[in-house]
Amino acid sequence: MSQLAELQQAFCDALRSPEMPTDALLDAIVDDGLNLQRFNVYRNNFIVLNGDALADMYPVIKRLVGDEAFRVLATAYVRSHPPQARTLLLYGDQFPAFLASIPELVELPYLADVARIEFAWTEAYHAQEHPVLTEDQVSSITADAFGQCQLLPHPTLHCIGSDYPIYSIWQANQSCETDELISLDQGESYVIVLRPEIDVEVSTVSQGAFHFLKQLQSGAIIEAAYEVAIEQDSTFDLGVFLTQHLLDGTFFQINS
Amino acid sequence: MNDAIPSLRSASALVPSRAGAGLKAVHYQDIIDNQPDIGWFEIHPENYMGRGGAPLRYLERIRSDYPISMHSVGTSLGSHQPLDTKHLDDLKYLVDRFQPGLISEHLSWSHGYEWFTHDLIPLVYTQASLDLVVDHIQQVQDRLQRQILIENPSSYLQFKQSDIPEQHFLVEAAKRSGAGLLLDVNNVYVSCSNHQWDIEEYLAPIPAELVGEIHLAGHAVQALGNEQVLLIDDHGSPVCTAVWELYRNCIDRIGTVPTLIERDSNIPDFATLYNEVQYAEYYLRQSKEVNRVSTC
Repeated sequence: MSQLAELQQAFCDALRSPEMPTDALLDAIVDDGLNLQRFNVYRNNFIVLNGDALADMYPVIKRLVGDEAFRVLATAYVRSHPPQARTLLLYGDQFPAFLASIPELVELPYLADVARIEFAWTEAYHAQEHPVLTEDQVSSITADAFGQCQLLPHPTLHCIGSDYPIYSIWQANQSCETDELISLDQGESYVIVLRPEIDVEVSTVSQGAFHFLKQLQSGAIIEAAYEVAIEQDSTFDLGVFLTQHLLDGTFFQINS
Repeated sequence: MNDAIPSLRSASALVPSRAGAGLKAVHYQDIIDNQPDIGWFEIHPENYMGRGGAPLRYLERIRSDYPISMHSVGTSLGSHQPLDTKHLDDLKYLVDRFQPGLISEHLSWSHGYEWFTHDLIPLVYTQASLDLVVDHIQQVQDRLQRQILIENPSSYLQFKQSDIPEQHFLVEAAKRSGAGLLLDVNNVYVSCSNHQWDIEEYLAPIPAELVGEIHLAGHAVQALGNEQVLLIDDHGSPVCTAVWELYRNCIDRIGTVPTLIERDSNIPDFATLYNEVQYAEYYLRQSKEVNRVSTC
């Protein structure tokens, strides 16, 4: 390994670590008695710059746990999951799973699922442009053939199911002014995140609609997707769902 | 976004010798609605490397009204690792699509392992690292088919191994690669203070004709005990008086080049940032007049 490679890798190791930098690294820095403090500016920048990117992506999580706890979580995340890309646009993709793995957060079991909404929001926000399904495309399909078609959800669609009322929690924390109390007894929620045009939309759907969309996302034909949905949720009404969503940007294409 | 006001303009690509501002997402709508009289805007291309969505649409709209420059933060010119061809492709795509008048990158590295620091780490200044940086600059310029400008870094430490003064390293890297320089006046001030370098000695070897752009920003002061301080280049406050003074000296010496007010944290409303841009605009005009008088 070249000297430069050795030095740069040692520098990176020390940036990530909470421990004292090695003597070899400190010896490589011009020493005026302050070389550790000088190095620590970079260690602090590494944690703060990447932690700030995480805070930008997860404002609701930050509100839910508080600024101080978020800073501790972000520091641990930046150290265990240093950025893998040259842009920070999607930095934090593992944060929901990371939150789920922290024993101290066991009292906040909804946190990871709320974080999944926030990551889906950012991913949809930066996603490639795609057209939405039009009336012309639908009218080319005969009623008989409809059930055998693949109805493809818009590529920006994310489906997030949870045992907790994560939509209410996410919604109530969109502004700082709220002091709304949300009972976890409200139970499960089924959230969809979508960006048909320029704005990201977050909404809830019924359990049946949720499973229907997930089946369609995996490429199932309409009939097969409906069968799974109705099995999960006997109240699912396909006609009502399609009247509302077929042409509202939820879908991308229909293939016979 | 407000699509109700379609742009009728199609701004030139050329970045004028005026003051510009860093383009911030919180200011997009204000700029589109109010069309401020400002020379140009600068972006970090890495913030537009998503595949679609609002940022690219806003940028398209603002680019039709103003020239832009691209100030990259992700190339990692000083890294021991090879440059990332995918990143260069993404950069080339944005350059072709948005036609920036100027393109710049830092003399630093951020890619040490498979992961990224997202902070600009200083280089060891040796003949070997100079050869590496020259090769990396040439690769970027070859891919973009354009000259780029290399920015002098702000730094908080120096490596013992370095045996070339930073300013000579910069000038040599630019001359050998055919690049220009982006003179960050705040970085000169910050680094000279942090390393007790002489500002005059730092600036003296920099040929005026290499400088294609100037940056100005604010910095923070961190006390270290025993009455020493480190200046931290955080772009989080207005440009300080001493840096304005240094800027006036620089433009009187090297000429009036496009000047950017950078602000990346504690971002004020656009009107406040615009006022600061007007200071730079005023000094540029003043310097032009002084030079005109002296050449008559």
